[in-house]
Amino acid sequence: MNAEANSSVLTFVPASLAERAYRSAQISWTGLRVWLHYQTLIWWDKLRRRDPDARDLHAVHQKNADLIFHTAVSLRGMLVKMCQVIGTRSDIFPREYVSVLSQCQDRLPAREFESIRQVVEEDLGKPIESVFAEFETAPVAAASLAQVHRAQLVTGEEVAVKVQYPDIEHIMHTDMTASRRIAALYARFSDNPIDFLPLLDELQTHLRMELDFRREVKSADRIRDFFSRDQDVRVPMVFEEFSTRRIITMEFVTGAKPNDLDELHAAGIDTQGFMLRLMRIFNRMILAHGFFHADPHPGNIFVTADERGKPVFTLLDFGLSKQLPRGFGMGLFELMFSMMTFNESAMLRAFRELGFDTRKGDDDSLLYIARRMISRSDTGSFQGEFTEDMTDEMFDAVRESPIVTVPTDFVLVARAFSLLSGIGHAIGQRGNALDAMS
Amino acid sequence: MTQDVATDRQEFSFDELMADDPFEKSLVTNDIQCHGGYIDGEYVSPRGALRRPAIRNWRERLSVADHPLITIPEKYVPPNYPNYDQAKYLLQEGVVEPVTRALTIIAIVEGFGARIREVSVPDFDAEVEESVDGTALAHLASGLFEAHARDEAGHRDQGGHKQMWEAARDAGLDKPEIPDDVLLRLMSGGPPATRKRLYPELSERMESMLLMMTNVLIIETFAEDTFNWAKKLLGDPEVSADPVQAAHIVDCIARDEVPHVDYLTVALSELRARTLIGADGQSTLSGADVIDGVFRRQLRGMATVRPQQSRERSQADIHQAVSDKRRASSVARQFEELDSGWTFPHRDDEELDVLLKSA
Ligand SMILES: Nc1ncnc2c1ncn2[C@@H]1O[C@H](COP(=O)(O)OP(=O)(O)OP(=O)(O)O)[C@@H](O)[C@H]1O
Ligand SMILES: [Fe+2]
Ligand SMILES: [Fe+2]
Ligand SMILES: [Mg+2]
Repeated sequence: MNAEANSSVLTFVPASLAERAYRSAQISWTGLRVWLHYQTLIWWDKLRRRDPDARDLHAVHQKNADLIFHTAVSLRGMLVKMCQVIGTRSDIFPREYVSVLSQCQDRLPAREFESIRQVVEEDLGKPIESVFAEFETAPVAAASLAQVHRAQLVTGEEVAVKVQYPDIEHIMHTDMTASRRIAALYARFSDNPIDFLPLLDELQTHLRMELDFRREVKSADRIRDFFSRDQDVRVPMVFEEFSTRRIITMEFVTGAKPNDLDELHAAGIDTQGFMLRLMRIFNRMILAHGFFHADPHPGNIFVTADERGKPVFTLLDFGLSKQLPRGFGMGLFELMFSMMTFNESAMLRAFRELGFDTRKGDDDSLLYIARRMISRSDTGSFQGEFTEDMTDEMFDAVRESPIVTVPTDFVLVARAFSLLSGIGHAIGQRGNALDAMS
Repeated sequence: MTQDVATDRQEFSFDELMADDPFEKSLVTNDIQCHGGYIDGEYVSPRGALRRPAIRNWRERLSVADHPLITIPEKYVPPNYPNYDQAKYLLQEGVVEPVTRALTIIAIVEGFGARIREVSVPDFDAEVEESVDGTALAHLASGLFEAHARDEAGHRDQGGHKQMWEAARDAGLDKPEIPDDVLLRLMSGGPPATRKRLYPELSERMESMLLMMTNVLIIETFAEDTFNWAKKLLGDPEVSADPVQAAHIVDCIARDEVPHVDYLTVALSELRARTLIGADGQSTLSGADVIDGVFRRQLRGMATVRPQQSRERSQADIHQAVSDKRRASSVARQFEELDSGWTFPHRDDEELDVLLKSA
């Protein structure tokens, strides 16, 4: 199947009937193949009178995840976004899916510049040349919903312009309908279905919000305000007059990647206490302000040196910013604290405060999850760092114990902490949230 | 208390340092199981059966060798802000939030006292000229830090000072609503300042351990006025929902602090009487010079600018909370009239120095 070549031809006719039909067909076809991969195994096992539940599904999960990944990358749009969301829901999807689909990020081919120009001119209501003295036609990055171009304003400022793909709303609609159809089909044929429909609803609401860049700008403003008195955090300035629902024009920033020690050192950054500083910033958002940048992957954080060589962190991409409910920060702190002291009754209180739920109100399954998670830390005790291993273990336990419901907010926070821990890991430091508080 | 420990015994195992006295009843408050317990109706601190006599014996050894004990000067112990009269007045006026915030922050900060277990202890054999056998120093990593950590943060299903302060707060103020901004207050400082090494000749581990221990010892000493304040306020039947229980819990916490001050004092005094060896394995420094130098520096920070800023911050918070009230300006005026004031010493004040007394 060579979907990539086909879709690049089709981009000339954005969201035409033909493309929509094609997308629908591709999605359904992929869905069918994924389902068949599982189903043939079950049939096979039944034929051989083996217990299908005893089979190790790792290989087929992996195969299916790869298949979905490739379809998504070739079709882009909502599918990529959906994969990214699956990549954030370790509580529901098998590990293989989460790790493959969360890669759906930078590996996308760029769109034709003409279609980008069209969006810019439509939204600003004037020719691109009257606002920008220069506008590089090759993007610095192409993502799922938008691509980012470097440009210069007629007034001289260097800017990054994030422009939404022109046909994205239609695409989203098509993809959503097709996905719903598959989800309904899946629910009918599978014995033990994951309930996809509510997830799709959640995804749809989420995407609607993410497609309105004015919201992203507001989130950025809010977080910039939190740190207005801190010299070590920056959020790029936005040029409001050149930002619309589909465009963000912001100050162009540069910096080293936080997870590359050589790059950091080459930029003259003193890395002593680097992770403490970075964790402190996310602690402030998550624990103290209750509103946070929920996607701290290394591509969204640029690091520069201040005059003393200390790191300054520039945060990018506020598309996935999240408001946490009242009391969530305190609940999370209490959970971490009680895990540190092995205080199980306090853990239970904290789990409840955070909105964890068990179908029969039974405490044992919550404690079981906490114990498994702690057991995967490097030291056998929890010291304040949610490592990737620990979060994986936790979500394995959650999936195996279907009576536990994990609040979405917690999933996002745990994922953010484990992304940060991953950055720490890459540079030989720990992303310990409790350390960064005391 | 009940255990008979020979006065010349200097070696104690980890389990011995964790051992409780034979309690007749444990301390349970607000449905929360706490540490410690009662013997003959009297509260007895946790992990004291042998820790208490052990510290006594190590101190005795210093005294026999005629080495002095360090002591933190009380002259500049900053008084709790707001003072008792001011806090009582706020509660009477229905302005509960600043008191709740203060008590909640105390609870969390106590809990973070558990960080002391993460201090990595240097290799005393390589970094101290004289032997440390049979000293508190030799037991820091093998029980003293751990016992201290458990006292502060609790351990397994026994609550420690963190949970006890929360219980005292909830008893006295009748489960008040916790203000949203507690964690924000706690984290409002800037990024961690990079420390310049004080004694670059010493190993990094030795210096960090000394800084941590002196820091904690000063905090423990400075907390004294806060304990008295909380006992009096939460024990005042005119403003407390459960004066007897609330004051009792604060009193239990205060008693538990005694062994902390004691072992830190003894261990630092032991080191003061010895000779430190530099990281190069060659150079030597007098323990007394190093310990006194570290204290001087710590006291300068902790008795001057920091408490002053925190006082100003609390004052602003209180005025903010009052401004939502009816009669705001008269309440604010009355509140200020009750202030007993305090002059923070200047950093160069010569009395900001550790004192010595005989062991
Ligand atoms: N202000 C800027 N200055 C320089 N480069 C930028 C700027 N904003 C974005 N970029 C570059 O563009 C990339 C994509 O931007 P951003 O993450 O905001 O887009 P996105 O569509 O939300 O991406 P994704 O969906 O993959 O998270 C960034 O990783 C960064 O490399
Ligand atoms: Fe304490
Ligand atoms: Fe203490
Ligand atoms: Mg994004």
